[in-house]
Amino acid sequence: MLRDGLTRFLDNRYDLDASRAAVKTGAGWQPEIWRALAQDLGVLGATLPEAAGGTGGGPAELMVIAEALGHALVVEPFVDTAVLGAGLLRRCGGSRADEVLAGIVNGSVVTAFAATETGPDLHDVSTTAVREGGGWRLDGAKYVVTSAPIATHLLVTARTGDGSTTGRDGISLFLVDPAASGISAHPMRTIDDRVASDLVFSGVAVPADALLGSEGEAWPIIERVVDEASAAVCAEAVGCLRKVLADTVEYTKQRKQFGQPLSRFQALQHRMVDMYMEVEQAAAAVYLAMFSLDAAGSGSATERARAVSAAKATVSRAVRFVGQNAVQLHGGMGMTEELAVGHYFKRLTAIEYEFGTASAHLARYAALTDPRAVAS
Amino acid sequence: MEMGWSEADLAWRDEVREFLERELTPELRRAGRLMTSVYADHEASMEWQRILHNRGWAAPAWPVEYGGCGWSLTRHYIFSRESILAGAPSLSPMGIRMVAHAIVRFGTPEQKAFFLPRILTGEVFFCQGYSEPEAGSDLAALSMSAVRDGEGDDAVLVLNGSKIWTTHAGEANWMFALVRTTRSERRQSGITFLLLEMTSPGVTVRPLVMTSGEEIQNQVFFDQVRVPVSNVLGEIDDGWTVAKYLLEFERGGAAVAPGLQVKAATLAERAATQRGPGGRPLLDDPSFAARLADARVRADVLEVLEFRTLAVLEAGGNPGAAASMLKILGTELSQRISELALEAAGPHGRVYQPHAAAPGGPVTEYTAPPDGYLSGQEWQAVAPLFYLNNRAGSIYAGSNEIQRNILAKAVLGL
Repeated sequence: MLRDGLTRFLDNRYDLDASRAAVKTGAGWQPEIWRALAQDLGVLGATLPEAAGGTGGGPAELMVIAEALGHALVVEPFVDTAVLGAGLLRRCGGSRADEVLAGIVNGSVVTAFAATETGPDLHDVSTTAVREGGGWRLDGAKYVVTSAPIATHLLVTARTGDGSTTGRDGISLFLVDPAASGISAHPMRTIDDRVASDLVFSGVAVPADALLGSEGEAWPIIERVVDEASAAVCAEAVGCLRKVLADTVEYTKQRKQFGQPLSRFQALQHRMVDMYMEVEQAAAAVYLAMFSLDAAGSGSATERARAVSAAKATVSRAVRFVGQNAVQLHGGMGMTEELAVGHYFKRLTAIEYEFGTASAHLARYAALTDPRAVAS
Repeated sequence: MEMGWSEADLAWRDEVREFLERELTPELRRAGRLMTSVYADHEASMEWQRILHNRGWAAPAWPVEYGGCGWSLTRHYIFSRESILAGAPSLSPMGIRMVAHAIVRFGTPEQKAFFLPRILTGEVFFCQGYSEPEAGSDLAALSMSAVRDGEGDDAVLVLNGSKIWTTHAGEANWMFALVRTTRSERRQSGITFLLLEMTSPGVTVRPLVMTSGEEIQNQVFFDQVRVPVSNVLGEIDDGWTVAKYLLEFERGGAAVAPGLQVKAATLAERAATQRGPGGRPLLDDPSFAARLADARVRADVLEVLEFRTLAVLEAGGNPGAAASMLKILGTELSQRISELALEAAGPHGRVYQPHAAAPGGPVTEYTAPPDGYLSGQEWQAVAPLFYLNNRAGSIYAGSNEIQRNILAKAVLGL
């Protein structure tokens, strides 16, 4: 039912050209779409507990929503807000978190997760937070923070403890007003038509209750929620992949060269079969990740991390192969903005690297399954 | 690699190096360094052509009587390799490297006298009108009609139809085009090779926005466009012969490997300073290092294959289908390097910031930040554009599927 309603809404209301125009020359997104997702469809609260105003869905609902949004190439910040933002807030808890969660459910809040610095590891944090007055002072810089230009709230990682800049201990999470004095924002758009900012924090003063959760102990929560977001992006990818595969098959049936449709050439048939198998593996990998996230499950953090890394490594491989070959089989037209495939290709390219490359996830998988580490 | 080069070759290399060192301005080097595809910024490219022309090196491969240099193929190879190493912007291939050779071979004395000197100076800038919406890989399917009107010297061909994937049609003032003058059983017959002015009434250029946002390719529409019959190159209905001759100049003698070697080596330098997993340099990541090394090995091997082809050409032979292999290997390796560069660029590689690159065409749907802000470094801004544009390598100039068909047939005899 969730799937049907959302798919029908996107088919009727979500126009590819309008969404691109909103990013390139407009507000960066379509707020009316966001409101409808929240209020008419209940999508933004679908995976939040009833206590937070949601409808209590779990990973299965998350997968359905993300795949549908991917299929329609929705640029509005579902993962940033309803998965990352909501996940961090509800797991950290506290009165401020509850208030912001209610805003996520009703569509009045957009969150941006300001975590990335100069390296690929999210625990590679040089931004500092020190106690000052009754609150905290933040200093540092975060790069390519997606959704920041349209965000009502920033979730900022900062180091509150001593130790190395790559250590997992001593990281805290802060809820910060994007308009706070001392933040300079450089807005930009991404190749896949999302909005983002580089953010510099210079002596940004935040109140004591800006700290979410326990001081210096945010990492396990961040790692878990980022795994959920990675899984959601994998599901989004599957929606994109199904669309470009279908478009490619259709295009090769229509396009005639040498007196026959391209689809009659065996070399191209085999290519499309390989694309199909990559899509099916990506879809299966999403199930693997979603089972590991199931809140009711007894799975350990290690099992979850292993499954999500398996999924993201698989999806990163699939989006590259399927995206590149979808362009190839569309010929010159695939290189343009004229057909949908060019826009999907750019999103698939961004997904390949978002939340860790295949290489990063294979490394994490290898470490988690190292028999020497497992035995000890 | 400098395999088997003579003392004279090495002296030539030094002379070229010294010239490039002296003549390449910082602006030209920037345009070369920040190229987002095989096409340099148009202004920079034309400026570099003027500088080369002053030295007599704009069209070294032409016959000496028309302004060529009479170099050996080894000298050509050294020249193009050094140009790449020095970061020179590329020249447009359409005029100097392509249609000029057909004019030399098939042109009337009047055509030679008019076009060749003007191509050298840049006064005449050609685009290529081959592909049509329904004739891409299958070029002989082209259908743009050219109907004769009038007799004798006043006769004209009246053109109707359209061409697509016309590079730099907006910048060009002339086009060389294949048009259909006669419909016949054999599709390669009845095609005519025509030179036409882009300012002719009835010519409309529609830019195609590429995924990189650049407007380099175009669709060109022809509505009752009248072109003097004296602008036909070669014989009417025999344009396929001219086109086939031209194709030979698109292939062979290319030096793609040096450019790829430079790109990969530069990427290694970037990766040595870029922060990677665990806060250590990206080049310390064994997976990334191994994949980059693999690309560099492929570039070294490709250069040897290019030398081999060069030796065949030097000895007066025809490399034949080897050109198809070089096209596949060169474009697919370039794509691989563009993937690694995008991976190395990290999150900054996801940002769209063409203002920090030197695109090969106008970018209209974009406003640069007023303060010129750049997220990351220049090379990180170039990485996504280079990646997106590189996908064209396996599509243009005979898709890699077509090239594999040629190899299967011509080399393996299948």
